[in-house]
Amino acid sequence: MKKYSTMPESAETAEAAPRYAARELRDRTEESRTERGPMDLPFFLLTLLILTIGVVMVLSASFARAYYSEGNATEYFVKQLVFAVTGVVMMIVASRFSTNFYRRWSMPLLLFTLLMLALVPFIGVGKSTVGANRWFDLGFTTFQPSEIAKLAVILSFADLICNYRNLMGTFKYGVLPFAVILVVVVGLLLLEPHISASVIIILIGAIMMFAGGTRWQYFAVGIVVVGLAGWLIVTKMAYASSRITAWRDPWSDPLDTGLQTIQSLYAIGSGGLLGLGIGQGRQKYMYLPEEHNDFIFSIVCEELGFVGAMLILVLFALLIIRGYWLALHARDRFGALVITGITSLLAIQVFLNVAVVTNLVPCTGISLPFFSYGGTALWIQLIEMGIVLSISRDIPLRKRKGEKDK
Amino acid sequence: MARSKGTQRPNKMILGRTLILALVCGIVAFSVLAWRLYKLMIVDHDFYEEKAVDQQTRTVSVAASRGTIYDSNHNALAQSATAYNVFISPYEIQLYSTKEYKENEKHYGDDPELIASGLAQILGEQGSTREEMLEMMKDTKSWYKTVATKLEAEMTDQVRAFINEHSLAGVHIEESSKRYYPYGSMACHVVGFVGTDNYGLEGIERIYDSKLEGTNGSVVRLVARNGTQMLFENYQNYNDAIDGNDVTLTLDATIQSIAEKYLQQAMKANYIQNGGCVIVMDVKTGEILALANANAYDLNDPFSLPEEKLEEIALIEDEAERKKAIQDAQYAMWRDMALSDTYEPGSVFKIITMAIGLEEGVVHENDNFRCNAKIPASSIPGRKTDLNCWKRIGHGDQTLREAAMHSCNVAFVNIGLKIGAEKYYEYVDAFGLREKTGVDLSGETNSQWWPDADFMDPLDKSSLAAASFGQTFTVTPIQMITAVSAAVNGGYLMEPYIVKEIDDENGEVIYSREPTVVRQVISEETSALVADILRSVVADEGGTGSNAYVPGYNVGGKTGTTTKTVIEAAEERKEYMVSFCGVAPTEDPEIAVLLVLDNPSNESGIYIGGGQMAAPYVGKIMGEVLPYLGVQPHYSPEEQALLDVTVPRLTGMDIVSAREEINELGLTVREIGEGDTVTAQLPTQGAQVAAGSQLIIYRGETEEHEDVEVPNLSNKTVKQARNTLQNLGLFLDTSGASPTIDGVKVASQAVEPGTMVPYGAVISVTLVDSTNVGEY
Repeated sequence: MKKYSTMPESAETAEAAPRYAARELRDRTEESRTERGPMDLPFFLLTLLILTIGVVMVLSASFARAYYSEGNATEYFVKQLVFAVTGVVMMIVASRFSTNFYRRWSMPLLLFTLLMLALVPFIGVGKSTVGANRWFDLGFTTFQPSEIAKLAVILSFADLICNYRNLMGTFKYGVLPFAVILVVVVGLLLLEPHISASVIIILIGAIMMFAGGTRWQYFAVGIVVVGLAGWLIVTKMAYASSRITAWRDPWSDPLDTGLQTIQSLYAIGSGGLLGLGIGQGRQKYMYLPEEHNDFIFSIVCEELGFVGAMLILVLFALLIIRGYWLALHARDRFGALVITGITSLLAIQVFLNVAVVTNLVPCTGISLPFFSYGGTALWIQLIEMGIVLSISRDIPLRKRKGEKDK
Repeated sequence: MARSKGTQRPNKMILGRTLILALVCGIVAFSVLAWRLYKLMIVDHDFYEEKAVDQQTRTVSVAASRGTIYDSNHNALAQSATAYNVFISPYEIQLYSTKEYKENEKHYGDDPELIASGLAQILGEQGSTREEMLEMMKDTKSWYKTVATKLEAEMTDQVRAFINEHSLAGVHIEESSKRYYPYGSMACHVVGFVGTDNYGLEGIERIYDSKLEGTNGSVVRLVARNGTQMLFENYQNYNDAIDGNDVTLTLDATIQSIAEKYLQQAMKANYIQNGGCVIVMDVKTGEILALANANAYDLNDPFSLPEEKLEEIALIEDEAERKKAIQDAQYAMWRDMALSDTYEPGSVFKIITMAIGLEEGVVHENDNFRCNAKIPASSIPGRKTDLNCWKRIGHGDQTLREAAMHSCNVAFVNIGLKIGAEKYYEYVDAFGLREKTGVDLSGETNSQWWPDADFMDPLDKSSLAAASFGQTFTVTPIQMITAVSAAVNGGYLMEPYIVKEIDDENGEVIYSREPTVVRQVISEETSALVADILRSVVADEGGTGSNAYVPGYNVGGKTGTTTKTVIEAAEERKEYMVSFCGVAPTEDPEIAVLLVLDNPSNESGIYIGGGQMAAPYVGKIMGEVLPYLGVQPHYSPEEQALLDVTVPRLTGMDIVSAREEINELGLTVREIGEGDTVTAQLPTQGAQVAAGSQLIIYRGETEEHEDVEVPNLSNKTVKQARNTLQNLGLFLDTSGASPTIDGVKVASQAVEPGTMVPYGAVISVTLVDSTNVGEY
């Protein structure tokens, strides 16, 4: 640890410039592309499997709502299917780009994200269910800049960590730049306000810093700071404090703030060991709000039972563990950090979503990756998987087959 | 390593920390979730499932159809028909009336004001008012507020159309049933009625409620939150309703209507101020064929009081008192006097005394009983006053049969004293007079007798003396008729009953009643003798029951007249109870009829006594019921000569055969015109006219006649009445006491004097033997 903190800053930056140029040159050559191996098949197949189950569950969860609200039971399913297919194409395309491509575009992406976040309160749109403007209306669908922000933070943080790889132990390089970016991004998110995205971005930022080598002590301070801020938000914002009350006792207001949680628990609890069977759920008949969105996992539990729900969680866990395995075997530091970030983001989203629907944590809008209805979010998730697959291609095949690196 | 320089291999720290993240995010986090899911889905599964199913299902109750009550000929006395209840769901109305709902989803058009005024307009007086409904809707947690019950299909269709027109989610119709009583007030105290919830409140409806009601079923349906059926979801749990059992009574609607008709006539003619009841019993089985009380009410509207009673109650100013008065009046109206009230049977009880005496052999048919008008107090230990016979000059020497015919108190007190108190009570018990009969009707009370010790006190025989001619103690009418039946049916005390059979919803018999012999009280020989002596009371010259005479049948019976001991002692005024118990035919008794009339007024002009007031109506009931039951009449030649004649069809006949036919029937004829064939006749074919009446036939000619004023026939003999009417162009038809007995006179007429009737009308009159009046 000490070793890094004593490294001069100039050395790092000075060394970096010529190397970038060289790499860029190589990326453009044909042989550099052919040099890369195939993408990681287990990760790819797990993603496709989970996505397939997710799309099927959107059909099951949404048909009642679609029928009653849109007059067409497959309305949401068809849309989701189109997004899934195009998303898989995007994933494969994303896997073709080189690791360095992502590193090169990480900072521009962050700036673009900040611009969008700054604009969303003004030209964004809200939805009737949420009292905040969080979306851009793209005409054919809506799009949440906060989804891009997560990827932008991962990529930019990975880039910065690589840049400061020997200085991560210092406050100036190991904490400050990251903290500044987080404060700006989260500040913009809280303007909307969008607490769940803020929480995820803070978490993912912290994870990136943790993996990158920021000292333990700073996390302690960070936890205190974030904790204080969180406490302030929760106590001062009526919107947030009501969520806390509803979390602790959903039955105190069963028809309003506690409604989602109670109905979710009914769905999950009534699933039992084997569930009611796919398509046979009952809570989706307008009892459970957001049944094909944030609460789709409740329907999964109701219909597929404990066994089915656990199977899906195991698939997620396998995907996540495979992600970390790829991170551990990545050929370069940036790639390893990006995979860690994307995998951790996936894990956080899955964990928080399931934690919310099971009332383990206060109710907030976190979607379940590959399951929740929502086109652009699915696209971005699949692009993120594509990035992981892209990085995986740098790992030599024999390595992946478990042979020792020479 | 060739690429190590440019690719910045992750250092050990990054790898280590990634490993930590992998553990936390890949293993720990998922373990937490697995634990949580296990808790919710396995451990607490039942709790959540119950709650979920609770909100996802709607249970609609399916009303079982209440069983039918039939008379013995399978005429429905009480039956159920489908009706509908309308209820509103304030919760749903509120849910689908919200502005938010209206803006987003537009499936339902619920609106409190629209629903309340719309329903109020359709339902009118049959349902809640608009204001009441708006008030109900304030209870937004409720799913069920009834606004109308027992609607007919027509109005229900209007409600359904209203629901469909506005796509209402919060107004619902449920099937229920409504009870109909096709015969209205007939047999009301037997049949009883149900309350708004179809729960039996009175009579058979109450006692057999558990048999009649059936078991309600239910349909459990899965519904979406908006109340519609779930898509592709066929889960429905049917729990079929089991219809109630049908109850068949021994009661016969025809006999019941005959009994009720004459009970009402008796009530009216005798100016009865309190109540009255009549029971017709099959003496061999104990089956109740008819049971009626004067205080009848309409079973289809059992809470409505008679108008005069309402007017009386309206005068009460205090609200609480008025309510209580209404309730008391209703209870009085529903009271089944025949079972619930006791009375002093008076001379009717002499049947029992006579039966005991004959069975015990202490008296014989031809023993001499001398009546010197009274028994001095000194002859009866414990009695303080002389015991008078109703006949102030006494009956002189008489046989037992004659004593019964005369209803001689002196003779019967002597018989009682001969029997002795112990034996007497033994038989009273044997006749079932000190216990409830056990009839399967509600509200039966028990008789009131002297305690054993008092009655059997050797130093005080006053109670035995009083009991011998039916005074001071009280029994219920049902006990009395049951005991009399035992005395004449061969001596068997039967347990009276009214429910003959109960069938389940498939028509399978689940209960079938057989006559129950409680015990044999007297021998068949004694019983036959008692029946024959009762025949003499009605049929023989000098019998006190002559007004119960029915031509062609051997009717036996006994009169009863008492002044109510309690009222006489307390208020020093006389209130009478008159009754008559008849049995027929006496050679092989089939039925017994007991008519009890409470408190006649002397304003009626009829001598107060069972022989004058009750016997004629028992006779009339017998006269209609016996032929109905298929008992063949046997007319004596004298009866034949005086019998009413049914007018044949004469119109169209040639004059010679018409004359022959008229002659054969013992009628005379007045002919008008000269034609060879009869072109018209008076009265018309099928009319009943008194024997010896003069018919009118037209031989081609016609006469124009104005309406005729009906004369007063009261107190005329049959011959006088017939001639009076004949002179006016009217005809006579008689019923009541036998015209063979001298001194029988017209007591009442069906058409009031002064009424205008068409020429040729038949006037029915009731004959009464008034030669021998008295309080017997």
